[in-house]
This record gives sequence, structure tokens and C-alpha cells, in this order.
Amino acid sequence: MERIYKKSTKDFYSLIFLLSLSVSIIIVDHKYNQADYLRSFINDIIVYPLYNISSLPRSFVTSFMQEYQDIDKLESEIKKLKAENMSLRIKLQEFDSLKEENERLLAIEKKSLTSSKKQKIAKVLNNSASPTRKIAIIDKGQNDGLYKGQNVIGIDGLIGQIIELNTMSSKIILINDINHNVPGNISRTGEKVIVAGTSGSSDLMVQFTPIDTDIKVGDIVTTSGVAGRFKSNIPIGKVISIEKDPEKKFSDINVKAFENLDNLSDVILIWDYQPSNEANNE
Amino acid sequence: MKPIMNSSLVIILSTFLSVILTISTFPLGYFSPDWIFLVIIYWIIAVPNMYSFFVIWFIGIITDVAVGSTLGMNALIYVFLSFIIKKLYKSLRYFTVIQQGIIVLVLMILKITFLLWIDAMLITDMYSVSMYWTTLTSALVWPIIFFSLRHLRRRYNIT
Repeated sequence: MERIYKKSTKDFYSLIFLLSLSVSIIIVDHKYNQADYLRSFINDIIVYPLYNISSLPRSFVTSFMQEYQDIDKLESEIKKLKAENMSLRIKLQEFDSLKEENERLLAIEKKSLTSSKKQKIAKVLNNSASPTRKIAIIDKGQNDGLYKGQNVIGIDGLIGQIIELNTMSSKIILINDINHNVPGNISRTGEKVIVAGTSGSSDLMVQFTPIDTDIKVGDIVTTSGVAGRFKSNIPIGKVISIEKDPEKKFSDINVKAFENLDNLSDVILIWDYQPSNEANNE
Repeated sequence: MKPIMNSSLVIILSTFLSVILTISTFPLGYFSPDWIFLVIIYWIIAVPNMYSFFVIWFIGIITDVAVGSTLGMNALIYVFLSFIIKKLYKSLRYFTVIQQGIIVLVLMILKITFLLWIDAMLITDMYSVSMYWTTLTSALVWPIIFFSLRHLRRRYNIT
């Protein structure tokens, strides 16, 4: 009896200890963002190796296929061309939005838009790294000079930003995450909008736009660079439908992202733009 | 001859396996089962003394890193629910698999509710520490309630 009593009180005290430890870690992590070291340490020694193991079957199959087809030479050439094509298309997308902006802003003083000086292509290891949030994992990390808040784009438009850095991998939050907002503007009119992720059928939604705003289906939404988190003039998506409800003061505008956010394979990291404020409020 | 597998190796291997399963079923989204918790539940029911709470807590931290939730959230819930399972393991062991499945359902509902609850508390920023003073005063007042009601009970022979 004595032993059972002793054992159950020991259990009880370790329960209390661990519960309060968890609560304090939650507070440290959430309120003060100080637990990143612990997180990336555990990630590097335990979770990242397991990631690699879990993707082994897939990579084995693909490597086998490649050997079987014996197209190594062709592939390297394609890779080279692809990289070239990518950097050209980045330039092109900037020119596209510049063109539209030019039509609108002939008289207004214009900020000169420099094209990306440094860029790096990263492979997406896991496109859905969380059951509830839209997070992808890429194979570049601190060792490659990435930084928190770095903009991640694709060849067609904006993809997201880096939220977690580890030594050899990092996590990016996609723009269609339900808690993620991007300050944007409508290319045609210059109207400032906030583009948020949605759980619905379309990728993105423009929130809190007054009902009489001039927005048409087919309008292109680009980043505005207002809050200093994203470089300006990266294409985000196209307006696909507008739901106007006279009862409400705001209209719901659904936006389809240019990038296929549910199926990413390569992403581009751009260096020319450092978020100006490090105040973290995603 | 018994196969050479000591319990710590079993813990490590089954935990790794469950993390790998969790990672590879992420594409299922909301439908992906909570493999890690299921493995913990099995081992607690089968061999209650194999896991110490500290190990379960650490597995919870690994889960937090793997799924990207606020650090400590899953650890808190795993430890709390394991405590409950550990108290009930004798009766759980004699349940049929179907009945145990129902228990798993209840535990998972509890888990998700706790997760959402902590999430809501963190995100809305509505909670102020002063809300929690009542917990402390209630605990301090408990001896008064206990002794006075016991006195009452003994006096009037309520059993």
C-alpha cells in the first residue's frame, strides 16, 4: 500500500512539473519567440533525418526511372535551360507588371524597380508539412544564407515567405494559409487591398474592400510592398469572381493565385529585398 | 529464446516510425490519423511502466516540431491524457478492440478540443493573467471547505 501511494504521488508530481514546463515553453515560444533554437535543434537532429527517410521510397523510384531512361546528359542541359528560363521569366513578370503600372502612372513619380540581383532555386521537400496550415519545406536553410521573412516566389508569381529556419531546411508559409495576409494592389487601378488566404475553393480572397470599389473580374493583383514584408510588384493572382452583397458594406473578391500552390516542386528565393521591420506578426 | 529488444529501443523505434507515418500522411490533411498518440496509447495500455512521463513529454515536443505547432502544446496534452490513460489502463486492457476504439475516439476529441482551446487563447490574446487569480484563491480556500464540510458531515452522520 505504501509503495502504491509513493508511486502515485511521484507520478502526480512529475505530471504537475511537466504540465507547468509545457505551459512555460508555450508562453516562451508564443509570446517572446525565444524557443527557436530548441526547435531548430530538435528539427536538425531528429525530425529532418526522419523527413529524409520518409521521402526515400519516392526518391528511390524517381532516381531509378532516371537511370532507366538514361537521359543524364539531356537532363543537365534541360536544367541549365530551365534555370535560364526561370531567371528570364522573373524579369518578364516584373516587366509585365511594370507595363501595367506605366499605363496608370504616366504622370506620377515612379520608384525605380530593380530586378532581383541574387536568386537561388530550392527544391520543395514536402508540400504539405502541416495537417492544418499551408506550409512547405524546402531543402535550403541557414547554410545557404537564407533569412527569416525572405520572399519566396515561383516563375509565375508570389508563393510565400520563410517562417522557420533550420540548418539544412526551412519552412515557408504559403500565401493561401488562412492566417496569412499580403498587402497588395490592383494593377489596373492602383487600389490598395489585403489579400488573405482562404479555406474555400479559391486560393485567396481580398478582404475589406468597400462595395463600390472599381474591381473587375480578370484584374491582376500584385504585391504593393506597403508593410515592408514583401517586395513590390510581384504578381499574386487574378480576380476570378466578385460576390456583391448589398446587405454588407464589403464585397467578397476571390482571387486565383498564378502559382499552383497545392503542387509546388521548385521555388525561387530572392535576396534583393530585406523586410524592413522585424516585428513578427504573421 | 527471446529476441534481443530492450524497452528503450522499442520506444525509440516505434516513436520514429510513428513520426515517419505522421510526416508521410500530411497530404491527407485533416484526415491524417494521429499515429504518434496512437502508439503512445498502445504502449501505456500494454506496458504501463515502459514510458515515463518525461519520455512522453519529449515525444510531444518532437511532435510539435514535426507538425509546426507552438512548442509545448502537444507535449502538454500528451502528458495530461497519458496520465488519465495510466490511471485507467486496467479496465482498458480488458476492453475489446472496438471498445478501445471508442475510447481512442473520446481521447482524440479531448485532444483536439484542448489544442483548439490553447490555440484560441494564444491567438486572440484575450487572456489576461489576472483571469487566473481565481484558480489560486480557490485552491487556497479548499481546506476551509474541506474541514468545515467534514465537520458538518460527521456531526449529522451523513455517509
